[in-house]
Amino acid sequence: MIEFKNVSKEYPPNLVKESKVALQNISFTVKPGEFVTLCGRSGAGKTTILKMISCEEKPSTGVIMFNDINTLDVKKSDAYLIRQKIGFIFQDYKLLAYKTVYENVAYALEAFDFNERLVRDEVMQVLELVGLENKVNCLPRELSGGEKQRVSIARALIHRPEIILADEPTGNLDPYHTREIVKILLKINESGSTVILSTHSRETVNSLEKRVITLENGRIIRDEEKGVFSL
Amino acid sequence: MKKRGYSPCNIMINFFKKTFKNGWDSFWRQGFLTFATSLVIFIAVILGTALFFFQGGVSYLTKQLQDKIDISVTFKAEVARDTILGIKDNLLSLDQVKKVDYISSEDAYNAFVTAHEGDQYMEALSLLGTNPFLPALRIQTKQASQYKEVSEYLAKDEYKDLISEVNDYKRGVMIEKLTELTKSVQILGLSLTVFLSLIAVIITFNTLRLSIYSQKEEIEIMRLVGAKNSFIRGPFLVQGGLCGFFASVISFMLLTIVLFLFNAQLTTLFMGFDCLDFFKSNILLIILLELVVGVGLGLLSSYFAVRKYLRD
Repeated sequence: MIEFKNVSKEYPPNLVKESKVALQNISFTVKPGEFVTLCGRSGAGKTTILKMISCEEKPSTGVIMFNDINTLDVKKSDAYLIRQKIGFIFQDYKLLAYKTVYENVAYALEAFDFNERLVRDEVMQVLELVGLENKVNCLPRELSGGEKQRVSIARALIHRPEIILADEPTGNLDPYHTREIVKILLKINESGSTVILSTHSRETVNSLEKRVITLENGRIIRDEEKGVFSL
Repeated sequence: MKKRGYSPCNIMINFFKKTFKNGWDSFWRQGFLTFATSLVIFIAVILGTALFFFQGGVSYLTKQLQDKIDISVTFKAEVARDTILGIKDNLLSLDQVKKVDYISSEDAYNAFVTAHEGDQYMEALSLLGTNPFLPALRIQTKQASQYKEVSEYLAKDEYKDLISEVNDYKRGVMIEKLTELTKSVQILGLSLTVFLSLIAVIITFNTLRLSIYSQKEEIEIMRLVGAKNSFIRGPFLVQGGLCGFFASVISFMLLTIVLFLFNAQLTTLFMGFDCLDFFKSNILLIILLELVVGVGLGLLSSYFAVRKYLRD
């Protein structure tokens, strides 16, 4: 499904920053239906990997295959076709502040030419899945951190993507809400979606008992089935 | 997931509906930014309209000045009326000539009497005991620069013995100066129009760019949920277009009110140029101009402002 072949990424220098090597010759494969945790300290290259999968960034060298498509061949204007196969979950939720829970989730479907009735059915279904069926008309500012993250998950799930990319989704949450989110991610994975979770939380990694890719300074230092946090 | 079950036509209608709804929502939601953007476009529209009136005023003044210029050809007393009318017809057949008036010696006398009734000139005239005025033709050309060609035409041999005096040489300097002045005013008006329009475009573009910059994160989210560029751009275009539309409507209403309330003062200010009359006779053009400037500026500025974020 996703294959990184000798991928490196170097950000060129600019007026305020020197050049920075984000990834150094990394290779790995993610099979359909897998749950993979990218583990590493801040700046290890976790987010860069996620950005490359979603065609937000291009590698400096190497090849990234997404469903047998070389992402280097994907034009910027066509990148949305790749992103439509992906569901994103962010640490800071990235919800549209002026839209209600329902509208935030529905927005992702509206971008796909679905009719209104279908959108309503799908949104209610997915909000039930994340336990927010009673908050449909709330604005993001009226929700707790955990609830916001569940909206973010609902939005990521609404178009039934092949892959979920979760970038530090529990970074802003307390242990209780962290467990809740992890449970939902596992449920999503059990339903057949591939999940790539980026985190630096020891508890989260250890509780999952799934494949762990550990990164350090842009290099993969470990790639273990049922791995544990080892930094 | 169930697929759309929608015909391409329905998809298109749905797309436009959603685009318009999202644009309309953004327009109302961002009260201050909408107000600021609309205000800037409003100023640009007012500027555009003012320049249109300015061009109208310049044309009016030019025409007024040109109408005041003429060549007066005085014929010898013995030249018959029919001969003079024949020359008038010949002159009217020239491309350059707009109008020729025949003034008989009686007409000239009567006009003098009317103008100088009871003053010292009348006393002098009565002392003469005869009508000293000669028959004349008053010629107006289509353009001020054409007077020279007409006076050259009158200098032909066949007219030499009939004409007492052609007074264009006396007015030649004035005619040339007026022609130059007219051209200068038109060039100045055009330059001013281009310059101020450019400033209006730049200011509108920058205001909308700032407005869209504040929605940078929103654009990023839209991209990440897999929205096409056209789906992201659409609502911004609608928002810009709406700002332009409302700016045009308000500008038109304001213009109408001002013209109806202050037309007398404006006519005096602009040396007899009747702004209300100009407005009435060009109303459709003015509406079109305001809409094109307002909506066009809004759409173009939005397009270029949002393009930056869709290219990244």
